[in-house]
Amino acid sequence: MSETGTILNVTNVRKTYTLGRVKVPVLHGVDLDVRAGEWIAVLGASGSGKSTLLHLMGGLDRPDRVKGERASISFMDREITSLGSHALDKYRARDVGFVFQFYHLLPELDVMSNVCVGGMIRHGRLGYRTNRKSIQGRASELLGRFGLGDRLGHRPAELSGGERQRVAIARALINEPRVLLADEPTGNLDQKTGDSILDTISEHRASAGLTMVMVTHDERIAARADRVIRLVDGRVQEDPGL
Amino acid sequence: MYQSLLTRKYLTSKLMPILAMLAVMLSVATILITWSVMGGFLKTLVNSGRSLVGDVVITWPNVGFAHYEDLIERLEADPMIEGATPIIETFGLVQLPDDRIELITIKGIDPSSYGTVTNYNDTIWWKPIEEPTPKDRDRSDVRLDPELREIMSVFESNANTLTRFDPASGETQDAGVLGVEVTGLNIRTEDGIYDPRTTAFRALPDGGIERVPGFMPSGGSVGLTVLALDSKGRPVDPVTRTIPIANEFQSGIYEVDTSTLIVPLGVMQRMLRMDEARRVEIVESENPFEMERDPDTGEMRPKRREIVGVDPARATNVLVKAAKGVQVDDAQARCKEIYAEFAAAHRGDVPGPMQMENQIRTWEDLNATMINAVKKETGLVLFVFGIVSFTTVFLVLAIFWSMASEKTKDIGILRALGASTGGIAWLWIRYGTVIGLIGAVFGTALGYVIVSNINAIHDWLGRTFGLTIWDPRQYYFIEIPSEVDLSKAIIVFIVGVLTCVLGSLLPAWRSAKMDPVKALRFE
Repeated sequence: MSETGTILNVTNVRKTYTLGRVKVPVLHGVDLDVRAGEWIAVLGASGSGKSTLLHLMGGLDRPDRVKGERASISFMDREITSLGSHALDKYRARDVGFVFQFYHLLPELDVMSNVCVGGMIRHGRLGYRTNRKSIQGRASELLGRFGLGDRLGHRPAELSGGERQRVAIARALINEPRVLLADEPTGNLDQKTGDSILDTISEHRASAGLTMVMVTHDERIAARADRVIRLVDGRVQEDPGL
Repeated sequence: MYQSLLTRKYLTSKLMPILAMLAVMLSVATILITWSVMGGFLKTLVNSGRSLVGDVVITWPNVGFAHYEDLIERLEADPMIEGATPIIETFGLVQLPDDRIELITIKGIDPSSYGTVTNYNDTIWWKPIEEPTPKDRDRSDVRLDPELREIMSVFESNANTLTRFDPASGETQDAGVLGVEVTGLNIRTEDGIYDPRTTAFRALPDGGIERVPGFMPSGGSVGLTVLALDSKGRPVDPVTRTIPIANEFQSGIYEVDTSTLIVPLGVMQRMLRMDEARRVEIVESENPFEMERDPDTGEMRPKRREIVGVDPARATNVLVKAAKGVQVDDAQARCKEIYAEFAAAHRGDVPGPMQMENQIRTWEDLNATMINAVKKETGLVLFVFGIVSFTTVFLVLAIFWSMASEKTKDIGILRALGASTGGIAWLWIRYGTVIGLIGAVFGTALGYVIVSNINAIHDWLGRTFGLTIWDPRQYYFIEIPSEVDLSKAIIVFIVGVLTCVLGSLLPAWRSAKMDPVKALRFE
């Protein structure tokens, strides 16, 4: 972590998608500092590049390389844009956790396995065998805390939307990441369930000191964040009004 | 770790992996069945080819070599050799009961020693048997008939001594044993046995037909014509003689059984003038003016003297049986050494070891053409089935490609959780390996069960659907070979697994290279 307490730093990041022969620029030089323990809400219109920014910060995608310009994304002073694919895999497994709008649970696995699969990936075969008990204990604890203690053997298809999202959050938190990247986590839920999910995240964030970047288009939800930024024309605008 | 968990879950929750397993299973079973049956066919053929040859053959064709008794004595004294027997092998013409004349291979044998070196006794067909042959369910084989038991015993005994009693003269005559297919009067049934015709018909010049005995061991005889050889091995005069038939044999090689006549060695030696004979050598006197009267013509001639000696009997081949546990190639090498000692002891009378270098051959060398033909046939069939089975690779590839497409979102999720490209590739390769292993285990088991019961299955197909694939009348062996060679099963098993692994490589590579962001957005 830098002296300023920045955990994630995004500097001059551009991203262009190619659709057939057409190049579609999405981000035009995004700069953003995320401080440790902070909850940032990223607002923006549909297609403004919110999810793209989240994917770039989570190491799922890489920014454009533009000649003469320096673009970087750093996590705790370590530039992740220059990491090799193996190191980037480790970064995703250890340091960040993803929560998606459509839950993205593995349909063949039960609740417990869906949560533990993150631990399996992080620790590898031998590591998981060694730490199996502690990983499973943490999964049980998280799921219990999220009200799913009695649904461990159920498959995602047997759960409600809210329950599925709680499982997804538990999975994102299983490896105790420093940063939670949530892409419209309540976008597919009714307001009551959405609020309940946010309460869950919020409680956990407070107790674990978790940094969270949450993409949303809902200003009401954004209002719960410590800081709100808007993506307008592919650039960040701080929104002091919320 | 997550790969094994997902492999387990994917295996039990989808139909497609079961289809892939079925494809591997059927492919493995098909190859194993084909290879086992063709391999069994080759093995049976090879063993049949060995039945009248022994392990090693020492040959000096046409003129033959003398002092063979000494060679046999030397061979039998060696611990690597179990026994040896002399034979004469030549060609001749045989006149059958219906007057057909056929070119035939004639083997002049010494029945007692020939029986110890070869499986001659087992090949004798007309003899009493206790149990019916495998397909003779209605026990229609005449050899089983208790009423014919005694006469069958006589036929067998005649074959063992190569003699037959002639009631007309009251004498026991030298006799021959014909290949069971030579006369065409033994009809091979679909039960794999022979139904003998008791009567044959001979066309007469006046347009009439004469009935002649058709069942050869019971009074049948053939006319045999060979070319007698002089002491240099050159043919001189045709010699014809009637050979009573004592019995018939079945070696298992159709070509042998349609064109071979076995007769006593002595008979062949006499017909070919290869028997022991008095030798007269005429030497002119050293004084050219010394004269004498020719006792035959009464005329005067230069005086000369006769040197009288003995030309020893000759044989064209000595068949050798290796002692138990001795490899055929080792026995061949030893035979060459023994022959060299023998040739040194009879220098000038027998071919030298250099000339015999390529004439001391194993039974495999002798049957190389036949064995190689069947080996090539087996190879060809395997190649064709291999290509057909190779389509399994593409079938597995198609199934895996489809599954990998269906699981695109899972791949995106796993990548988001930190799974590496190698880890994702290994997920599919591991999945392919497991499917291959399961398919190959079931395929090998299925192949084993089918091959082990192939004759029962074949009979059932025949009874239920009227299908006869393996007809003993055409294939000559009564039953379909039904042994599974362990080494073949292991090879087919490994290839089955590899097939599946190969089929999973491209989908694995594609999944590993998938952009995780696109994968997560996949609908």
